[in-house]
Amino acid sequence: MSQLYRAAAPDGLIQFPLDSMTLIFQKSSGITHMVADPVPAIIEVMAEDILTADDVAQRLSASYDLEDTADAADIVLARLVELCSLGLVEQV
Amino acid sequence: MLAWSRGTGVGQVARLHHLYLTVGPARFRVASTWRQPLDQLAALYKDYPASQDGYADFTVRLEPEKPWRRYIRPSVHISGDYWLPDAAPLPLNQSLLAAEMGMNLQMALGWRRHLLLHASSVEKDGKALLMTGLSGSGKSTLSAMLAEKGWRFMGDEFALLNPDTGMVHSFPRLISLKNEAIAAMQAIVPDNRFGPLMKDTPKGDIRHIVPPLDSVNKMADPAKPALLLFPRFGYDPALRDMGKSEIFVRLTQASTNYVALGEVGFRALTMFVDTVPVKAIDYQSADQAEELIDGLWGELS
Repeated sequence: MSQLYRAAAPDGLIQFPLDSMTLIFQKSSGITHMVADPVPAIIEVMAEDILTADDVAQRLSASYDLEDTADAADIVLARLVELCSLGLVEQV
Repeated sequence: MLAWSRGTGVGQVARLHHLYLTVGPARFRVASTWRQPLDQLAALYKDYPASQDGYADFTVRLEPEKPWRRYIRPSVHISGDYWLPDAAPLPLNQSLLAAEMGMNLQMALGWRRHLLLHASSVEKDGKALLMTGLSGSGKSTLSAMLAEKGWRFMGDEFALLNPDTGMVHSFPRLISLKNEAIAAMQAIVPDNRFGPLMKDTPKGDIRHIVPPLDSVNKMADPAKPALLLFPRFGYDPALRDMGKSEIFVRLTQASTNYVALGEVGFRALTMFVDTVPVKAIDYQSADQAEELIDGLWGELS
C-alpha cells in the first residue's frame, strides 16, 4: 500500500510569494521556511486531504501544465519526504 | 542619583550610581559602580527628555569584574536585565562605550514592541531612508553625514519597525564613529558635539557624536520607510537591484528579534520587503554615496 500524506492545516500556515521563492510561516513552530516550486503548489493541492504521492501528482497535473508528467510522481514523492522532515507534511 | 543594589560579591551590597535615559520609545536605567560613565552620559544626553516617573524598560549595570577591580586596574563588566555570559570587560576609560554597548544589548535581546532591524536611518519629508549591512559597510557614517546635510537622524544602530503601522520609529542614541570615520566627521561637526576619543577598544578607535538637536527633539516622530540601501564601502560606485528573497534573508539576519516576534515579525517583515524599494550601493567616498543617494531619493514618487 502506498504511503499516505497530509499537509499541515492551511490555517496554520502563512504563504507569501517573493520572487522565485515562496515563504511559508508555520504558526505552530514559529519557523519561516523558504521554498521553491513546486512546493507551494503541492501544499495547495493537498488541501486538508490524505493523499498518496500519485494522488498529489494527479492533482498537480489537473491544475498545472507540467512539463514531464511521467516523472511527476517521483518528484512529488521526493518533495513530500523533504516536507515531512520540515514538519510541513506528515505521514499518515 | 544613587541606588542600592546587591552586586559585586557574596554577601556584599554594592552602592551603585544610576541615571535614567530616554531614547526614542525606550527608557533605560544605567547603574554603575563608577560615576565616570554616568557623568559622560549625562553630558552627552543632556538634551534628551528626562524620565518623569523613574520607570525604565531596561536596566544596564556597569560593575567591576571582581570586587578589587573597582580600584585596581578598574575593569567594567556589562550586565543588566539581559547579558551575555562571554562579554569581555572593558577598561574604565572605555566605560562610556560599555554603557552604550549595554543599552544596545538590552534592546537587541529584550525589545519586543517593534521589529528591530540592525540599520541606520534618516528621515526627510516624513519618509525614512534605511541603510543596513555588515560592520564596515559605512551605514553609521553615512547616516551621520546625512544628518549634517538636512536629513533628520533617526539612529545608527537599530531601526524600529512598527508591526501594526509599518512605520519606522527613531532610536537616536549617540552616533558611534570608528577609526577613519572620526576624522572625516570632525571636519563637518563642531567639537562640542563629540564625546571622548576611546583608543584601542575591541572595535578600534571609537568616538561618539551627539545627534543634531532637531533629531533629538523629533525622536518621537515615526516615518514611513521609503528606501532601503545595502551600502558597501570600498568599491567602484554602482547601484544594483536585489531579489526579494535575498532581501528577506538578509533582513532576518539583520534583525535581533525576528524569531522572537513570531507571526507578528513575519507579517511586519514581509510587508516591509513587499513595499519598500531596495538597492545595493557601492561607493568609495562619502561624496559618491551622497550623490547616489540623492539620485535615488529624487526618483521616489
